[in-house]
Amino acid sequence: MSGLLQLLVSGLALGAIYALVALGFVVIYRASQVFNFAQGEFVAFGALMMVSLHAEGLPWLAAVALSCVLTGLLGALVERVLLRPLVGRPVFVTIILTIFVGALLRAGMTIAWGHELRGMPTPWDTMAEVQVLDAQLLVNSLGAMATGALVLGLYFVLIRRTRMGVAMRATASDQEVALALGIPVGRVFGATWFLAGALAALAGIFLGMYPRNVDIHLGFVALRAFPAVIVGGLDSAMGTVIAGILLGVLELLCQGYINPHLGEFGKNFHAVFPYFVMILFLMVRPYGLFGSREVERV
Amino acid sequence: MPTRALVTSYAQDLALFPDRWHRLGLVLFSALLLTLPWVADPRWLSVSNLALVAIVGSVALMILTGFAGQISMGHAAFLALGAYTTAVLGEQWALPFWLALPAGGAVAAAVGLAIGPFALRLRGLYLAIVTLGLVFLVNHMLLTFSDLTHGVSGIAVPMVTWFGAEASATDFRSATQWGGLRVVGDQKLYFLFLALATGAVWVGKNVQRSNTGRAMMAVRDQDLAASVLGVDPARTKVTAFGLSSFLAGIAGGMFALQQQYITIEPPFDLNMSIEYIAMIVLGGMGTVFGAVAGAVALVALSPLAEIVGRQLPLIERLSSAQQSTVLFSALVLAVLVFEPMGLLGLWLRIKRYFAAWPFRY
Repeated sequence: MSGLLQLLVSGLALGAIYALVALGFVVIYRASQVFNFAQGEFVAFGALMMVSLHAEGLPWLAAVALSCVLTGLLGALVERVLLRPLVGRPVFVTIILTIFVGALLRAGMTIAWGHELRGMPTPWDTMAEVQVLDAQLLVNSLGAMATGALVLGLYFVLIRRTRMGVAMRATASDQEVALALGIPVGRVFGATWFLAGALAALAGIFLGMYPRNVDIHLGFVALRAFPAVIVGGLDSAMGTVIAGILLGVLELLCQGYINPHLGEFGKNFHAVFPYFVMILFLMVRPYGLFGSREVERV
Repeated sequence: MPTRALVTSYAQDLALFPDRWHRLGLVLFSALLLTLPWVADPRWLSVSNLALVAIVGSVALMILTGFAGQISMGHAAFLALGAYTTAVLGEQWALPFWLALPAGGAVAAAVGLAIGPFALRLRGLYLAIVTLGLVFLVNHMLLTFSDLTHGVSGIAVPMVTWFGAEASATDFRSATQWGGLRVVGDQKLYFLFLALATGAVWVGKNVQRSNTGRAMMAVRDQDLAASVLGVDPARTKVTAFGLSSFLAGIAGGMFALQQQYITIEPPFDLNMSIEYIAMIVLGGMGTVFGAVAGAVALVALSPLAEIVGRQLPLIERLSSAQQSTVLFSALVLAVLVFEPMGLLGLWLRIKRYFAAWPFRY
């Protein structure tokens, strides 16, 4: 029983992180139909920035805020310099562009930060645990869950209640009409990339906490967040959040209960399990849980 | 160089070498390719071998992505299947390489045909991510079937039994007499690879100019219209997947021969898929010329990157693999932003300049 609770909580924490990363993909995709493969590098950049800023002596909260802002600005810069000239070109081209932007960012981070592993600073004791019933729960996991819930709530308020949110939804529904109605579509693109960068940085900060470490490969988590985006539906924020949390929990449950029964094949099976779920799921629902169904005639 | 002669028949339009200039070019180019292994030093010979492997792989991806428009990020999985099938068949059952290599292609094609039906329901990004998942799933399989593949420790490709000369040969680098010519080590591979790459290019070109290829391009450009015109999109997509993965499997087998000892990750990871995508983008989408040019350019870039990378500040801190990644990423970004047609676009511009000379246009 305590094992199950422990797995559930760390699964939910992982799921919250997947949801933050996946939400970053969806925010950009909805506004500009670009699938940002450099999202993982934003995650790593945010986490590394956080470690460095905190080492400079900034208080924890200020360092979190500043690294989110800096990562967001990096995202906006990438959009303005590299993606803006490609507006109107095939989807394929922008995908490839972001893949190589990611490769360049990774190289840049290697130059700036090197390869060594770093510990992520936390405001509480790094390995603090709380006793709930008879399970030991990491405070880090609880923090990730709480932050995830808070940020996702804020996001939905932003998208429903603010001017910028309405502009984003208008751009998502039809770029040309939005432009004709006087919505600054260029600025909306910039804002979505900023938002995606900030979400990624936050995900990176919580992902890097004990029991994990921070290094330039932290961004590979984005590869594991892809299934969440697809299962949830590429253009549904709610869907990806739900799918992200579900897949996080499923992954840890798989690690706890399925891996040991598969023998040799079960080694690290949980790492590919989200992809497994994704492929099975797509057989049934090709546009994910809540993705908009396109009309198909062939 | 004169401009192309007036085309008066379909046969003329379809001809691979329509006029005497193309034929002259073919003769000169083959002469160059055939003398290369005797002129180049061993380092560049192995680079050319890798380039020939990359040509087969990128023609394969070009058929799927360039012609049929199905974005695949799972190319590395097909190469891995080809490479491991070839190596395992050679190591465990001592099959000759001319059987093991096509068997690698066949296994990859079987998986490709199984993945093909996904493309019937998924489009664009959804397909890209599913094929990305294929890389992880295939690599997980290869890692866990360690009875055959030896898991993480990798597998040796039996080059000695395949390419050793006589019974006394200790390694495959010993010389063989081929009718008066003395052929050594990598040179043997070079000729084998040259034949295979020529075959792949020929297949690619023939697909492009036959109705199979025209159907693929119709599906890529407008599948509804294609379907109305009597093209079966389902069959076309599955054909593209089968053909592409077969060639990719062959390329994987060739890669195994070239490396002589292969492991799973690296090289068969997401980076390899990305490199192949870079090749076809850099070369120019939708043409066989683009696949070949992109493959040669990217492979030749990595040794060049090592030379250039040492001179640049900051970049010198990276490992040599990362240096070449940085340089080709920057190159691909520049091509995407400034020359959408890739190397093909450059080549057309150069040709047009000389065709119109001494006028500007």
